[in-house]
Amino acid sequence: MSEPVDEDVLSGMQNIQVAGIDTEILIEGNGEPLLFLHGLDGLENSISLIRLLSRDFRVYAPSHPGFGATALPPHFTAIDDAALFYLDLCDALDIGEATFVGLSFGGWIAAEVLVMAPHRASRLVLGAPFGLPTADRREQYVADIFMLSPAELQARMQNSPSPARVDPATIPEAMLERTVRNSEAAALYGWSPYFNNPKLRHRLHRVAMPTLILWGEDDRIAPVAYGRGFADAMPNAEFRTVANCGHRIQIDQPEVAAQAIRDFAATSSAMEEPVT
Amino acid sequence: MKVWQFSEQAYHPAFDVPGAMRVTLPQHHCDPAEASGLLNRYLDEYGLADSLGYNLMVNEHHAAATCMSTSCMTTLAILARETSKARLLALGIPLANRSNPLRVAEEIAMVDLLSGGRLEVGLVKGAGYELFMSNRQPTRFMDRFWEAHDLVLAAITNQGDNFSWAGDHFHYRVASLWPRPLQQPHPPIWMTASSAGSASQHARLGYTCATFLSGAVARSVFAGYRAAYREAHGAEAPDDRLAYLAVVSVADDHNAAFARAEQMKGYFATAARLDPQFRNPAGFLPVKDNLRMLRSGPGAIRPRMRDGNPLPSDPTIEHYIQAGLMFVGTPDDVFAQLNQFHGEVGGFGNLLMMGQAGTLGHRETAENLTLFAREVMPRLADLPPAQPGPDIRYEAFA
Repeated sequence: MSEPVDEDVLSGMQNIQVAGIDTEILIEGNGEPLLFLHGLDGLENSISLIRLLSRDFRVYAPSHPGFGATALPPHFTAIDDAALFYLDLCDALDIGEATFVGLSFGGWIAAEVLVMAPHRASRLVLGAPFGLPTADRREQYVADIFMLSPAELQARMQNSPSPARVDPATIPEAMLERTVRNSEAAALYGWSPYFNNPKLRHRLHRVAMPTLILWGEDDRIAPVAYGRGFADAMPNAEFRTVANCGHRIQIDQPEVAAQAIRDFAATSSAMEEPVT
Repeated sequence: MKVWQFSEQAYHPAFDVPGAMRVTLPQHHCDPAEASGLLNRYLDEYGLADSLGYNLMVNEHHAAATCMSTSCMTTLAILARETSKARLLALGIPLANRSNPLRVAEEIAMVDLLSGGRLEVGLVKGAGYELFMSNRQPTRFMDRFWEAHDLVLAAITNQGDNFSWAGDHFHYRVASLWPRPLQQPHPPIWMTASSAGSASQHARLGYTCATFLSGAVARSVFAGYRAAYREAHGAEAPDDRLAYLAVVSVADDHNAAFARAEQMKGYFATAARLDPQFRNPAGFLPVKDNLRMLRSGPGAIRPRMRDGNPLPSDPTIEHYIQAGLMFVGTPDDVFAQLNQFHGEVGGFGNLLMMGQAGTLGHRETAENLTLFAREVMPRLADLPPAQPGPDIRYEAFA
């Protein structure tokens, strides 16, 4: 589900404890706080977007518990464990109100966090999130990544060419271990029900902060029609498709995504300014 | 040596369909009339095996043309009534794929009663691809297995008050097992292993340990079992706690046996036909095992032949014999091969014999079972003590 990347992209990663849970986090840049929640391919595959965002924001980019270098906490069984973890993380790092950015699986976590505590986010950007029902009986809205062959999965995740197949024996141990952990954690949170919380759509009305939903026009994992369901369920969401872009917005269009997030932050701040 | 007849009860007409034989094979390839005939035929062969002095083993798989037995206990409930002498082995019940372990305990008790106490119960991890059918959570799979095991054993053996169960994976207000099994404190328990590590665990529990088609690796499995048994129980492990599964083809002349073996060989080719993403679902194996497997590459889990080389990708019958996966030839040949293998792996007391496999038809299966029972089985009764041979080891994944 994620291909290994060079080790040096992870230089600068810090290890912290959040309510007793070992956590790795990249903190970069200066400005308003931005909590970045990565997708299924792990933090290591979002580095370019994080770097772009760090020009304007102080970016807090943790690995979800169980992803990257950290083991699944033994008591974690479902998405609400991850959501509560992020409330603890915001407390631990004294992040008051932040811009939340969540991609794919990370978008689902962002939605679950903000259902619980909407005041934590000044604004929200979701990039092709999961979380709403991914199927209805025999009709599948979102492709089942666990059923796809490795080659087809790679090809469908993005528009950019699939990375060349690498012999696992040649990959540094730490990087190989990250990919194995990312897969394991994806199975814990998303095996069944398949990457969704059946209750989420009845709760999304609580996530009323200004919201931008970005969706790759060519997303062949979660198609645009699935994405519109989020805009329909959220009171204050703008839905925008991204041209020449698949499911991995951070790989196919990192500059476009970063610009969209910057512009959205600027306009949503302006709208909030009091009338004089 | 106890000999157990085993057939996967394949729907072999589907073997000609291109592609996978599991998980994704569309069910329209199954002709119900054909399936009905085959299932009844396999039961007839189990009945014949019973009359010939075999014990009987059944298994289960799901969404597979290679195995139509989708419930060990359903098949054994029938055999409990249709046979009279054989021990009846379920090998096994994929416990961590079951949503209701108490129901597993109930079925064990029923079949044990119906069979007059002839049931033997294999509780197995099962193959990773079964998760796509059970849809149970892949992560912490073995934690769930052991909790289900503890619950099944607690229910079967309980002679006190009813109890409730609140575990990490299963919850019951009341565990009250009606009826109770005949064998006390419980029917013999079996488990499977393909490494010394998992065999040691079974040894400590005193369970029978079977290894399937593992060739030379059976030696380290059995050695691991014997060492752990000695340490835990202060005595040598009886041979009947160890079991080896292989394909057997015997005929009056060499060529006929090899021709028969060619039909049985289809078992190996079809059992392996599975799209790669289903082999090892995300989260099924612990991280360290996945890393070890990725590091060692796909060749590492190939069985090795007697000369230490891995089994070729398109093996001949001779290759399978050299790997200890098939025993083929005249009764003298088969006895000699079994005797040699038995010695090399340090001895075992149960031969789980695939007397039917692949496309082998009824007449030839009956001949195979009959000839083996008449000419080979009696000679296995007192094999010479095991003489371990060259130590050929490879890492396998249970």
